[in-house]
Amino acid sequence: MQQLVREFTKGLWAELPPFRLVLGLCPTLAVTKTADNGLGMGLAVVFVLALSNVLISTVRHIIPKEVRIVCFIAISASLVVAVELLMQAYAYPLYQQLGIFVPLIVVNCVILGRAEAFAAKNGVLLSLADGLGMGLGFTMSLTFLGGLRELFGSGTLFGMPVMWEGFKPFTIMVEAPGAFICLGLILAGMNALGAWQARRKKQAVPAVSSGCACCGGCQSCEGRK
Amino acid sequence: MKSVLHMLVVLAAICGLSGFALSYLKMETAPRIEEQVLTYVQGPAILNVLTGIDNSPIAERRKFSVEGRSVTVFPGRKDGKLVSVAIEDSGKGFGGEVGVMVGFDVSRDTLTGIGITTMKETPGLGTRIADPGFTGQFIGKPTNEKLKSQGGSIDAVSGATISSTGAVTAVGRAAKSYAALKPEILKAWQ
Repeated sequence: MQQLVREFTKGLWAELPPFRLVLGLCPTLAVTKTADNGLGMGLAVVFVLALSNVLISTVRHIIPKEVRIVCFIAISASLVVAVELLMQAYAYPLYQQLGIFVPLIVVNCVILGRAEAFAAKNGVLLSLADGLGMGLGFTMSLTFLGGLRELFGSGTLFGMPVMWEGFKPFTIMVEAPGAFICLGLILAGMNALGAWQARRKKQAVPAVSSGCACCGGCQSCEGRK
Repeated sequence: MKSVLHMLVVLAAICGLSGFALSYLKMETAPRIEEQVLTYVQGPAILNVLTGIDNSPIAERRKFSVEGRSVTVFPGRKDGKLVSVAIEDSGKGFGGEVGVMVGFDVSRDTLTGIGITTMKETPGLGTRIADPGFTGQFIGKPTNEKLKSQGGSIDAVSGATISSTGAVTAVGRAAKSYAALKPEILKAWQ
């Protein structure tokens, strides 16, 4: 039980996908023009990630090692097509907004990363917890980034005007450069926060590296030795 | 040999199962998706190409068949009289089919306008065929209008010739359906 909670919560802060692991940046930068889009994209990823983790960990013993990547991709691609169909059927305006980035969830490295690094080695329940946690972390990050960009770029939040009257939006924030600027500031802020917390606890300042979690290809590297 | 067989079986089983599951889901969601596309994509496009009408083209839509193909026709009326119809068709673009809603003036047999409904063209390049700069050129033109390079009067979007050709092909195909269906259309809504 304790392990279940740990696997779930690690995706919410310690291994937050876009900001800590710096994974899945393509949709993170591309669709976060508004908080709505970030949230929608995030939820689609939660669905795919949780189910792909569950399916992959269920069949992990029967997949031959040589073709595991192909099998993982086949499973996640099927789930993404399912999401695309469901989104078209029940949330068409969101589908129009996200456009090409919905099918591109297939190549989102968070999905394959978790499949390879976690689901292929752990049980079904743990993998579900890991997928849900990572997915929710991804959703939170995208919603936060989208909210920030929407707030400064168009003066609204979830489509509601929130800034004072006469506020002049920084148009650059909803353009591509704004995404990079915001992402950079958030990464810097999180690292500064981590360093400050470590200093306060009189610990060594952690090195800015996401370590093993961001690659997950240990198997292939070990095989080479 | 045994491991190769093992790989083949597992991969084939996974892909086969995925295929079945997805085709079932596609069948299940198809009617709902059609309805959503009608409201969010075709609806606005129809109102754009059929100007000055006072009915609801989607509610009055009807299916006809041309050469074994089913074609949906959206009628536009003013004061109860049929003035224009919209027909959607598609042509091959750069990234797939380009869907175009084409409006026809019934009394003059000219185009009332076109609107791009679905496309998977390159963002920022091919997608410029949806801009008024390109689509606006079709207003009031004869139904067999072509690109300048094909001997017509439409300027292709520079750098997106294949996408532009796709749109023009779609217009041509819709015009063919329109010409074939005109007697039936006039009878159906007169």
